[in-house]
Amino acid sequence: MMGKYAAVMMPGLRYHRTHFWSRPSDAGSTFGFTSYAIRLMQDVYFLDWQVNAGDKVKLLEQIGHIETSKAVSDLFAPVAGMVKSFNQEVLSDPSLINVDGFGKGWLFEMECDATAGMDVHEYMKFLEDNWEKTQRMLKGKINSGDD
Amino acid sequence: MSQRKLQVVLSQAQGRDPVRRGLEEEIAASLLLEPGVDLGIVPHLYDLNPGHTGRLFMENIHGDMVVLSWLYPRAAYWLLDRNGIGGKLGETSILAEQPSEEEEENGEEQKPTGIGSVKEVNRTIYCLDLRDTRDHRKYLEEIRRILAECKDRWNTAPDKPSSVIQLGITKKVEEQSQAFSQDDMLKAPSRRWYPVIDYSRCTNCMECLDFCLFGVYGVDSLSRIFVDNQDSCKKGCPACSRVCPEQAIMFPDYKSPAIAGAPVGGISGLKIDLTKLFGGGDALVVAAQERDAELVKDGRDAVGLAVGIPKRQTGKQSGPKDDLDNLMDALDNLEV
Repeated sequence: MMGKYAAVMMPGLRYHRTHFWSRPSDAGSTFGFTSYAIRLMQDVYFLDWQVNAGDKVKLLEQIGHIETSKAVSDLFAPVAGMVKSFNQEVLSDPSLINVDGFGKGWLFEMECDATAGMDVHEYMKFLEDNWEKTQRMLKGKINSGDD
Repeated sequence: MSQRKLQVVLSQAQGRDPVRRGLEEEIAASLLLEPGVDLGIVPHLYDLNPGHTGRLFMENIHGDMVVLSWLYPRAAYWLLDRNGIGGKLGETSILAEQPSEEEEENGEEQKPTGIGSVKEVNRTIYCLDLRDTRDHRKYLEEIRRILAECKDRWNTAPDKPSSVIQLGITKKVEEQSQAFSQDDMLKAPSRRWYPVIDYSRCTNCMECLDFCLFGVYGVDSLSRIFVDNQDSCKKGCPACSRVCPEQAIMFPDYKSPAIAGAPVGGISGLKIDLTKLFGGGDALVVAAQERDAELVKDGRDAVGLAVGIPKRQTGKQSGPKDDLDNLMDALDNLEV
């Protein structure tokens, strides 16, 4: 898929347009970056949350920022709800995201609708459908000084 | 043998974070014992208002200078430039990412497209970011390296040392003018908030002037855009920075590195902005929302996208520019 190396997805999770996965938990859902997001960003250097545990967030509200070896990005709430907690281990060692993105590299827990999002097949289709657009967007950035 | 010394200015962090203060104290203590170096300590560079003694102190440094601050080097450099403390930006090697061979081979260095600084001052300013490492020895090593580099330069092209008066609160304070007392230099300024223009990127397109409705920007006698009324700027609002097509506007205290002045040019700092991919809105829409919020706070009407929005960007989004290498590297053999 989309490049020489496939980004392996985990079945049984919910996937979001913001390229987070979520897994139902006691608190609601646990969220992390999908392997696709990690493939694009590569090594995570710095992760910063702009909301606190207990804060209510709206869908697509900015909640944080990430800097990696290849990219920077603001991060946005994948669903509406209340942030219950952040993975402190990942904050002190963001490389866990790269090492075990679907496991120990989880990011935060939210009290939210655990059924929101797409299943793995829908997410893969979403990626395929948007691949052209993604390429154009990335290319657009790169050539914006020339064209 | 030159008796000139390298002036090091340590700019303190805002607030009283003990970790940051601790690093500052370790660096200061080691520099006081370091031969060939004079140390001056000032509050956070961004907050120094025009009459502040710390700023006057810096304005009176005429030779090469090392500035240690809690700011991205690009932000610190252009902040000083705006304050009339100009020079060439020195290259520093502390924690600089080394480009891989592949990147070097394919590397296409970005050409500076901006209008540049108004005055070229023949001295070098080295800006070090105190967030790079918590190990004070790394800074000391880098300052020693810079000192050696400066000495080479001083020896090959001797300046007029007699005309260079270096004033500072240093070990030699008793020999020097008392014009800048340590207490005055460290007097805590109040927090400030304003944009800083990177003129190596600014093309003088004036889009920020059109966009800002608070009178922050102006045009100088050379018809160049400049931050005219710094203190008219709205605290926390970085909207004009999002509108700038060249990402030339920095808010050094803003939380997102791209806006705070993280490197966007040169070999080491090229990064793709994936904000849109991760669900972020169009930068212009976000900017207009931020501006509206400030307008409403001022009791004025929100204008949305109706005023001062450039028409240029269909299909483009602001964000750090990048080169093809990173894309190729990130996406693996993209067949385009």
